[in-house]
Amino acid sequence: MLNLMFIAICMVIASMGISLLFKMQRLKELEKRADALNASLEEMDEQAKLIIRTDIELNKTQEELDKKITGLSTLQQLSREISTTLEEKQIFKKIGKFYLEELGFEKSSALLWDNLTREFHLYLSIGYSESESLRIKDAVNTDKDYYLDLMHGGKTASSVFIPEGFLDKDKICQLFQANEFIICPITPKEGNQGFIFVGTQNIETRITEGEREIITILANQIGQSLDNARLFEKTWRSQQELEIKVEERTRQLTETMEELKKISKRKSDFISSVSHELRTPLTSIKGYAAILLAGKLGAIPDEIKERLAKINRHSDELVHMVNDLLDISRIESGKVNMHVETLELAPIVEKVADLLSEQFKAKNITFNMLIPEDCKKIMVDRSQIERVFINLIGNALKFTPENGSISVGVHCSNKTIQVDVKDTGFGIPQEAQEKIFEEFYRVDNTINQGVKGTGLGLTLVKHIIEAHRGNIWVTSKLGEGATFSFTLNCTE
Amino acid sequence: MNVSFGFSQTKDHIRATNEAVGQAIIGLRGMHADLAIIFTTIEFTHPLVLKTVNNLLGEIPILGCSSLGIITNKGIFKHGFAILLIGLSQQMFFNVASVRDINKKTALLAGRELGEKLLYGYKTVRRNLSIIFSDGLISEGTSLINGLQENLGRSFPLIGALASDNFTFQKTFQYFNKELLSESCCGVLFGGGINFSLGIKHGWKPLGKVRCVNKSEGNVVKEIDGRPAVKLYEDYLAKDTLELSEELRRISIFYPLGIYLPGEKEYLLRNIISIKDDGSLVTQGDIPQDSKIRLMIGTKDSCLEAAAESCEDAERNLMGQKAKFVMVFDSASRFSLLGRQCVKELEIIKETFGEETPLVGIYTYGELAPLQSISYLGHSHFHNQSIGVLAVGGQ
Repeated sequence: MLNLMFIAICMVIASMGISLLFKMQRLKELEKRADALNASLEEMDEQAKLIIRTDIELNKTQEELDKKITGLSTLQQLSREISTTLEEKQIFKKIGKFYLEELGFEKSSALLWDNLTREFHLYLSIGYSESESLRIKDAVNTDKDYYLDLMHGGKTASSVFIPEGFLDKDKICQLFQANEFIICPITPKEGNQGFIFVGTQNIETRITEGEREIITILANQIGQSLDNARLFEKTWRSQQELEIKVEERTRQLTETMEELKKISKRKSDFISSVSHELRTPLTSIKGYAAILLAGKLGAIPDEIKERLAKINRHSDELVHMVNDLLDISRIESGKVNMHVETLELAPIVEKVADLLSEQFKAKNITFNMLIPEDCKKIMVDRSQIERVFINLIGNALKFTPENGSISVGVHCSNKTIQVDVKDTGFGIPQEAQEKIFEEFYRVDNTINQGVKGTGLGLTLVKHIIEAHRGNIWVTSKLGEGATFSFTLNCTE
Repeated sequence: MNVSFGFSQTKDHIRATNEAVGQAIIGLRGMHADLAIIFTTIEFTHPLVLKTVNNLLGEIPILGCSSLGIITNKGIFKHGFAILLIGLSQQMFFNVASVRDINKKTALLAGRELGEKLLYGYKTVRRNLSIIFSDGLISEGTSLINGLQENLGRSFPLIGALASDNFTFQKTFQYFNKELLSESCCGVLFGGGINFSLGIKHGWKPLGKVRCVNKSEGNVVKEIDGRPAVKLYEDYLAKDTLELSEELRRISIFYPLGIYLPGEKEYLLRNIISIKDDGSLVTQGDIPQDSKIRLMIGTKDSCLEAAAESCEDAERNLMGQKAKFVMVFDSASRFSLLGRQCVKELEIIKETFGEETPLVGIYTYGELAPLQSISYLGHSHFHNQSIGVLAVGGQ
């Protein structure tokens, strides 16, 4: 019985032992699992740390990117506005509160250095009262050397980075009432330079590299716009000055022209009246000389006859000169009525050549006429154009030595024909060619002294050609003859 | 209930006030207004603004506060003056009150005093809802709520906001009748059966291990998991205390602490205001000792999802009634985080309540609201980084 009881107790103890063993084993397993769970929790926590650290970087990058995108888009709009402004103060007015806030700031000042007054002047003030703006201006002028150094060094100061030698951050923060700021030089190539300040009281803001870049771009843009505005101002002023000068000169010229017209008219009137006054006594002189020469008042000795013939000849020359003067005067004053008609050119030239044929023969000068088929007709006043040819061919005859030649050549282009009267005479010196058409001008040389002339023929020719809306000029080389060319309108 | 809204962003604050109040008066179409709620951005906080409102509206109670931005149907404005005129039916009651010098009195005492003042004349009337506007720079938001709850009741629905400035954290303003106040708190208590609903969400998600607050006093967390509280951030962010201090506001927005509340889907968020020399973390609201906390992480998308959920909650709990007006208390941190996308939040609100429903909102440095859970129904909490949407449906 005892044995049985002992066996039973032993079995109970053994089963309890086994059960305890199992339980201990299970506990160990649970501990292991708990450890594994803890380990995986720790592992997850480590992963969470990694996630947060990555997230910080991502947030920073995204924030920077957001700021850049907003900043660039604002800068683009602002630049467009600024660049189209051509007045210095208006440039700063374009930087309004709206754009400033879009760039992430609510306070801004811009001051430009004036070399004449040796102080900074305020051009922009946003987020400050009038008294605050004044205080900022005064304080900047007190510390002007620091700001001038910053400007000349082209350095940008910010709450993140203060260049060496510049004012300390707290002083700037206090003056401009901002927690974060950027100060960037405005450096136009010409004229007054300065700086722009932008700042914020927002304590959550930290100035980023992107913001610094954007404000630098803005400051450069302002600088360029200032250059443009100043250049425009300068150009506009010079243009104004030029316009005033041109106006003044035009007025002077008009006055001179009027004066010249008056003088010219007086001269024409004078010549006209003098010529008229001369013609009457000349007619009498010539008449009486002719009566005396004809012996109507009795026979006169040969010596007196000879003198009378001279009087008669010189009177003729005088009459001729007076007539020329009268013609010039009439043409100048527009008193001559031009009877312009379509005429054949060749018969006119032939008629003149025929008129002078005796003189051609006397000097054995050959005369040639080269008129092409397609430019035979001209629009002229017959009597006037005959005088032109008489004068020009007559002159050529005078100055062409014996056995020479004279030619009249014609060529046309569009509705104009050019007539060249060419001779093989002595030629005209270069310096005389410009003056040759002036009244009473005669080339001063020995050849000319031997040739008679009034010095009015070419002037008359010039006037007639101009009255036909043509031009006349001479080309010549000494010893190689001269060519007088003139233009006339022709019909098709 | 008659509701009318006016808003102006004209630069001159007096002209803006005239314009906005004028719009609101026209909107009332001759009906009376009993209460004016005004929200302004910081540059409009001027005693003359209140004087102008009084001149135009007569002696009606005025409540409100400053904000870094104004949310309206027309958009989000960084400058402006907004006014909401409310005309109540004869069966509805309200009482307004204010308390000054919160910092001198402590938030708890100030809350207690305000609660007491608001209750004046409510002995026989059923009270429904209280809207509170407090100074935004107080660090003991939870204490303010506790003080209020001592008089108004633990599960009484308190909704409100901590005023903001433009992120300078220098001074926030509160409007109370003819007074422009600072370091103060003002509020209104409605009674007589006003139908309202609320949604509040933040969208931040927990990350990493659950931690235990071993030692804390009010809003100062001393030890987490047996180590100085700051070590939690040092470990997760791989930054030393100095680096953390420099970037504290940003870090606090992106990675706040979340207090686990049993039965709640969302954790209650706490922003870190500062780090003490002994490694303690000063938070914007209380974190009770032995609380289970986790580090939280948020994204723009999760923020917007939370805004949608918050609106849906508010809309659903109005029990089919159309909202007479919607008031939004949106955390300034969300404004910072969302950046340009903050207009998407506005779109979500408008989509939920309709384009024409009068909408006014502010950005806040803290939100007061009950959580939407059975066990915490009506029990208001101090929130950070959340969007609170109050929809009022009338009687």
